[in-house]
Amino acid sequence: MTSLSDIPVIQTPPEAPARGGNPLANVFDDFIRYCRSRSLFMLHYCTGCGAIELPPAMTSRFDMERIGIQPMVTPRQADILLVTGYVSVKTLKRIILTYEQMASPKYVIGICSCTVNGGMYWQSYATAKKLNDYLPVDLYIAGCMPRPEAVIEGLKALRDNIEAGTSDNWKDYYQRYDHYLGNQQRLFGADWQTPTEVIAEAKHYGLFGPDTLGEHTRRLEDHRKPLEPLRMTLNAGRLEHME
Amino acid sequence: MNVASLLVELVLMPLVAFVVGLAMVLMMRRIAARLQRRVGPPFFQPLFDIVKLYGKHTQTSHGLVHDLGIVMAVGGYIAAETMLPVPGMTGIADKGGLVVLAYVMMVPSLGLALGVGQCANPNGSIGISRALTAMLAYDVPFIIVIFGVAFHFGSSNLITIAAAQQAAGIAGWGVSQMPLLALAGLFALHGMLGKQPFEIYVAPAEIATGPMVEMSGKHMGGLFVMQCFQLYTAAVLYVTLFLGGGENWLSFLAKSFAVLAVPVSLAYLFPRYRTEDLVRLMWKWPTMIGLLGLAFLMH
Ligand code: SF4
Repeated sequence: MTSLSDIPVIQTPPEAPARGGNPLANVFDDFIRYCRSRSLFMLHYCTGCGAIELPPAMTSRFDMERIGIQPMVTPRQADILLVTGYVSVKTLKRIILTYEQMASPKYVIGICSCTVNGGMYWQSYATAKKLNDYLPVDLYIAGCMPRPEAVIEGLKALRDNIEAGTSDNWKDYYQRYDHYLGNQQRLFGADWQTPTEVIAEAKHYGLFGPDTLGEHTRRLEDHRKPLEPLRMTLNAGRLEHME
Repeated sequence: MNVASLLVELVLMPLVAFVVGLAMVLMMRRIAARLQRRVGPPFFQPLFDIVKLYGKHTQTSHGLVHDLGIVMAVGGYIAAETMLPVPGMTGIADKGGLVVLAYVMMVPSLGLALGVGQCANPNGSIGISRALTAMLAYDVPFIIVIFGVAFHFGSSNLITIAAAQQAAGIAGWGVSQMPLLALAGLFALHGMLGKQPFEIYVAPAEIATGPMVEMSGKHMGGLFVMQCFQLYTAAVLYVTLFLGGGENWLSFLAKSFAVLAVPVSLAYLFPRYRTEDLVRLMWKWPTMIGLLGLAFLMH
């Protein structure tokens, strides 16, 4: 757990070669991938101290918008989930909920040493240590805390990875869901469930892998309670009172 | 006009509007950046955003009405584009006229309200109720302005209005003939764009972009397309009513971008109004200025 070599490096095969030898066959895909790399909406989950380096990176000094990165405020709209620093167990639940609501392709960036290995909170009982045990992290920007230059460099690296088609870790979350769910259950208990149907999504979008299902997803089946909408009522007493 | 050329115009006019609208979005973002001493987005950024959003792999839809709401939002503006005469193309402008246009321009907000309603997100509902209240606020001066212009030119046909101004030269332009109404119109236009200080219904830090809160992927892409159309419609309508419409594309585009630059440059200088303050402001100043303008016209 402490060695760098334990962190899995996910090798994704390059995009399929041009069909039928036609050099223009992938033009459309390439164009979309280029646009994807040039337009990134960022949701910053700023509970760690690294968040303090983001305002300078966003505003007039370093100006993220010139490389096409904009802040967005809801997970539905966002492409990048930026986790800025230490992640407590309680926070991690919210981060996972947020991540699962984002539309793919989505990317996770861990800023600060605390997301890499726990950093100075290594001995804390309340923090999750390695972010990519629980979510497929695309890029780490290490430092305690990284300067805005480093943040911008990291974002540019992500942009280049997306353009080259090597940043596909969001597929890994679907294809090895059992692995991620297992780590989540280890931390949150066996009855952990999120409102998003990751397995059904994997099936629907053709992202089902051999490791999507496993012992942990079976445990999920056992514990899962069907989600019910909250009953909507008007508080009659208060209405009377208001009249 | 034969059917074939009409069909070509009906396709071309929204397309042109979209391309010009992309440039307008770029201008808006660049102006904001310059005011904040930033570099701003690259030239093709609005296009990248839209292609990216439409290229998303997964998609969250909350049901049929959610999807249809976006279709209405974009469709309403596409219908509006075919009624706005541009140099060389009139589409169905002579059939429509100002009144139909005013109706059609409300369709997008209503469509959005329907779509957001099905998302059942409280932030979205708050946002859309604020947006509709804001519409109530700026539509009063807007209707006064439209009525005044139609009264002055004796017609609600946009082609006639533009032609009358072009025949009379700059002295005959709406803005020289009816300066008070032009001022009220600029106010209403600013409200219609939903930019600061009138963007309480979006309020990103407070209600998480209100109506847009549950929009992802293609839905959001639709809204980005809608924004292009919205900027174009507002600017071109103003140019047609007050600045002599388009004699040729060069002056037409120059006027449209100049009109839009005014509210956009003002936008980033002020903090936002609360909804009730917005209604009070809109029903007080632009409405009063508009009514005064009407009184001068009718006198
Ligand atoms: S790495 Fe340092 S700056 Fe970043 S969250 Fe951890 S303690 Fe804070």
